[in-house]
Amino acid sequence: MKGIQRVIVSNKRVKYQFELCRNLTVIRGDSATGKTTLIEMIGEFYENGAASAVNIICAKECYVLSGRKWLSDLQTVRDSIVFIDEGNEFVFSNEFAAAIKDTDNYYVIVTREAIPALPYSVDEVYGIRESGKYGTLKQTYNEFYRFYAMPERGLPVKPECVITEDSNAGNQFFSAICDKNNIRCIGAGGKSNIFHQVSQVLGLIEGPIVVIADGAAFGAEMERLVNLARLWENIVLYLPESFEWLILHSGVVSDKEIAEVLSDTSNYVESSEYFSWERFFTALLIKKTDGSYLQYAKRRLNTSYCADKIAGQILQDIGWIEFG
Amino acid sequence: MLHIVFGRLPEAVFNTAVYFKNSYEDSWITDDFAKRAILDVDKSVVLGNGVIDSPVLGKIAPNSLSGGVKTLILIKNEPERIFNASTCGDNCAKWLLEIGRLQDITINLRHIMDFGSEPFAIHIVNTDAVVHNMREMVLIAGRYV
Repeated sequence: MKGIQRVIVSNKRVKYQFELCRNLTVIRGDSATGKTTLIEMIGEFYENGAASAVNIICAKECYVLSGRKWLSDLQTVRDSIVFIDEGNEFVFSNEFAAAIKDTDNYYVIVTREAIPALPYSVDEVYGIRESGKYGTLKQTYNEFYRFYAMPERGLPVKPECVITEDSNAGNQFFSAICDKNNIRCIGAGGKSNIFHQVSQVLGLIEGPIVVIADGAAFGAEMERLVNLARLWENIVLYLPESFEWLILHSGVVSDKEIAEVLSDTSNYVESSEYFSWERFFTALLIKKTDGSYLQYAKRRLNTSYCADKIAGQILQDIGWIEFG
Repeated sequence: MLHIVFGRLPEAVFNTAVYFKNSYEDSWITDDFAKRAILDVDKSVVLGNGVIDSPVLGKIAPNSLSGGVKTLILIKNEPERIFNASTCGDNCAKWLLEIGRLQDITINLRHIMDFGSEPFAIHIVNTDAVVHNMREMVLIAGRYV
């Protein structure tokens, strides 16, 4: 499945309207916002159709997955939007991640607990909020809102320390930039280590600590990091989709199609092919630079990207971080 | 006191909605604590016979309360058992603190709940430390969730 999926679920009393932009969406937030009611209504419509008195408007079938036979049930579901309520512990298993990885479904999971095995985006974690009443039936209208809001910071930020996600090309690029400017740069050795790394340097560094990670797959880490950033003002999070997205977005690779893809990514990423947009952007950059002097490899950064002109163009997008 | 175990705890009741459905007693719904929590979190009123008047869903049975309120009621009434309180949103945090002021309770949190900006005293079982604010809590909780 690809593209933005618009979903409207309603009965006489309540109406939900939302859009799903990619394969993995997480819903969390306060109690009593209607998360379980939404899932129940979708399940009732699936079982009973119009006789449920629930109405669903969506181009795809909406299905509720639950219970001990989730794996065999899932194998029968194709090209659908799969909703999973909290209380289904299987979503935290590696087995579940493996089972949904190459499927052509979108998944909407209700949970406050992080799911490290799933590469969901920081932008696809939502809460539900009431946004008004409809008509004479006093139908309550609910919408999704982006759950994670970045704490505001005075700009520009001049980092004393930069922490990156891993030791791949992104870390090699920012290490090179930081080396030139006498800024400490730490590769966390994986996204799940970033919280530990930030905690370690918190007491040692008073100036800005800038965390740079791939937002496209950072959803499971977001709660811990946002909490740190809310409580310590010198922590700044910069979470582009990925380092490859940053390069593509900077314009250093001249290709007409790139701008189109970046402005309408949902319509280009087939969920059965790419588990996260991070992987899609990597594949796109490798394809678009193949055979050129900017030929990209994720493991080892092509040094052309560190040349002053190219690096400057890449960093233009994040001018609010002053490396120099 | 409120005691918290952060991270996965196999002995905790994970699916609190199912447990509530099969164990709640009418008196749990009509007591003063439950009435106040239901009004605050679910914006609903407990009627005399235990039926609940919800502004969105109409007259509902206790099973249709929010997952957060059901878990609060379980924690209050079965303090010897550990429940997964990650079924509670941040709007339940003050009620967990209130129960903890009245009795000893241990809950399991699989996420970082926001207990607000006022000072508090919570015992973190994982490290056997008492924390008094969110800064202290987050640095410990983040290691386990």
